[in-house]
Amino acid sequence: MDAFEAIKVTFFQECDELLADLEAKLMLLEQGQTDLETINAVFRAVHSVKGGAGAFGLEALVRFAHVFETLMDELRSGRKPCDTITIKTLLRASDVLADHIQAAQGLIPQVDEGRSAALVAELEMLTHGGEAPPAVEDEDDDFGFMPMAFDMALDEPVAAPEPELEAVGWRIVFKPMGRMYANANETGLLLRELGRLGPTTVVLDDSETPTLDALSVEDGCLTWTVDLDAAVDEAALLEVFDFVESDCELAITPLGGASNMNAPFEDEPAAVLPASDDLDIAALLAKASGAVADPVPETIPFAAIEPEPAPAVATPAPTPVAAAPVAASASVAPAPVTIRVDLDRVDRLINVVGELVIQQAMLSQRVLESGLARSSGIALGLEDLELLTREIQDSVMAIRAQPVKSVFQRMPRLVREVADMVSKQVRLVTVGEDTEVDKTVVERLAEPITHMLRNAIDHGLETPDERIAAGKSAEGTVRLAALHRSGRIVIEISDDGRGINRERVKKIAIDKGLIAADAPLTDEQIDNLIFAPGFSTAAVVSDISGRGVGMDVVKRSIQALGGRISISSVPGKGSTFTLSLPLTLAVLDGMVVAAAEQTLIAPLPTIVESLTPQAADLHFVGGVDPVIRFRDRFLPLIDVALIMGFREQPMNPTDGVAVVVETEGGQQAALLFDAIQGQRQVVIKSLETNYQQVEGVAAATILGDGRVALILDVDVIVTDMRRKSIRPDFKLAS
Amino acid sequence: MSETLILAEVLDLNAAQPLKAELLALRGHALTLDASAVERLGGLCLQILMSARKTWAADGVNLSLGSVSQYWTEQWAALGAPDFNNEGALA
Repeated sequence: MDAFEAIKVTFFQECDELLADLEAKLMLLEQGQTDLETINAVFRAVHSVKGGAGAFGLEALVRFAHVFETLMDELRSGRKPCDTITIKTLLRASDVLADHIQAAQGLIPQVDEGRSAALVAELEMLTHGGEAPPAVEDEDDDFGFMPMAFDMALDEPVAAPEPELEAVGWRIVFKPMGRMYANANETGLLLRELGRLGPTTVVLDDSETPTLDALSVEDGCLTWTVDLDAAVDEAALLEVFDFVESDCELAITPLGGASNMNAPFEDEPAAVLPASDDLDIAALLAKASGAVADPVPETIPFAAIEPEPAPAVATPAPTPVAAAPVAASASVAPAPVTIRVDLDRVDRLINVVGELVIQQAMLSQRVLESGLARSSGIALGLEDLELLTREIQDSVMAIRAQPVKSVFQRMPRLVREVADMVSKQVRLVTVGEDTEVDKTVVERLAEPITHMLRNAIDHGLETPDERIAAGKSAEGTVRLAALHRSGRIVIEISDDGRGINRERVKKIAIDKGLIAADAPLTDEQIDNLIFAPGFSTAAVVSDISGRGVGMDVVKRSIQALGGRISISSVPGKGSTFTLSLPLTLAVLDGMVVAAAEQTLIAPLPTIVESLTPQAADLHFVGGVDPVIRFRDRFLPLIDVALIMGFREQPMNPTDGVAVVVETEGGQQAALLFDAIQGQRQVVIKSLETNYQQVEGVAAATILGDGRVALILDVDVIVTDMRRKSIRPDFKLAS
Repeated sequence: MSETLILAEVLDLNAAQPLKAELLALRGHALTLDASAVERLGGLCLQILMSARKTWAADGVNLSLGSVSQYWTEQWAALGAPDFNNEGALA
């Protein structure tokens, strides 16, 4: 990948962040937080996208962003009110902006031109009121943006547009503060940008510079005076300083007798740019350009250099017209220092650490087998090594951990679109966006969440009329929440709609032959029928949720992640889908157990207690199915080796160990094993990838002695497998 | 005898503090700056160099610029900076 392409990739990555920020800020506007800072943040996000897009010649994106930005400019100047209609339009515009970015990336073939054009018309209508928008030519002139040539040679100024003449030139005096540099901006780049507007004369004033011992590296003390010999529009100048206006002292005065320059910056809100705006594509481009333009700097003696012509203008003392810089808001926290790392590198590291864990376990096993005393130096050293390995593993996993925000932030758009299509009023409430989970899990969450949200809006929520008739507000609420619980991440999608119509669900299930007509089912079992393959309650397949993907597919994709899905519903009040997923797909704390000479791993988070069955506590329901008394309750006792097909005959429960487990749904059962061998952290190896999916088995791992052990899928064993009789053709081992 | 300080390739935000420290360590010595390897020059390092220029002049010690890279020449001019050697000559 050449330098330009690499920067383009970075640009699109940053676009993702900008879009997320844009969405978040628009949501704030929607919630009534229409303060200047929020409006400014929206403006900056759109402006940043536009600026970067211009550098790459993405014209359609630039044009759309420009119209969007123009309206934001009207809002931030207070010339237009930030009312509900405007905010709704902005939200839809952000969706189309995202489409333009995706199209520019090649992720979608093209933008829906009709929709884009309609949005442009709406934005322009809001910007210009009832008046017709300026002609296209004017708009081009007004862009204030010029596509930057990749080669940023100073002697190739891009011809400036020809706006209405207001001044024949400008004097720009600016003094960068230290934080301008800290925000990754550079004077040199600003001067280059000014140089693009026309011929400039630059004078550096270092009179305020103290001697070295008194100089603070964090403070700026140089002042530049730039005389621009071009009759450019003031807006073009403002654009150059757009990202640094609060990080430098700036004064702009017209040269050559212009008359109408009244406080050009007074309308400009002095805002503190958040760190996310520090992404300086121009800087990146300049850097790349430098690398391309002069890969080997030529070394020449200083004396041979032709001296710069003497500055034409002495250091002036202009009357500042511009606003003084404004101190940073106390609420702006310093951004954490981050680096971007190729995901492959992180994955390689994780794999290697996984191997390290296995090797360490093998080494421990060898030491154990060698008969060395536990107090020996080697054994103690190994224990330290184990702790360190664990720490390395935790640290590496933390690198991959990401907040679910990246998925949640895509949902408001989905909700808007689906709500529009089905003519329902929907409010999306998100909770716990900062909950962190492994990146792989985050990525694979998007699809099931999307489907369930669609489902909630399409099937769960009533129409506004129905809601009002039911004594509810016309607007339905869908809540999307993420939280950590017992070492897993739980995602809840709930709505305040009609709830599951159990009669209807049961009837459909009977009609489709999924259950017997006289099957005695609990409410929970009826609710869970919607996850049955082939089940669809929609009488007419809609564009929204009936896309050929049933809830059974959602369930399978969640199960493939080692997760569970459950539903609870109250008629007339709404439904809640609960997804529970492991925080990581790489490691697991497990209990090592033996069952008919097979070594198995029971995931530790599912285990409640272990006990030795006493004959007095055992009972057989119907003389066949064993149950065990556990804290004044009877739990089903499941002979794991038997139902997994490891042996033909049930073992005597009193010869084994019972491990009480709890499913995601809160159901408890006792699993019967031959013995417990220990507890350890295991590296998860996918069984599907390396072999095939096996019922009752979530994954596999490699033990310290090099053998493969199966990791049990406790929920499936307790809920599904126990119900079924053992299929004669299903044998994992003979 | 004049000491020579070879300036780093990249004189950006991160290079500012080390540059200041290096210069301070050489304060009082006649010094020649070798800018032949410089490929980036930012505002913070520029102000340190301007400050050094002022400091050496105030100390009455010679500070001059030796070899420079093509980039240095262009960037120095683009930043509108005065001839580096002049103030040293005044001392």
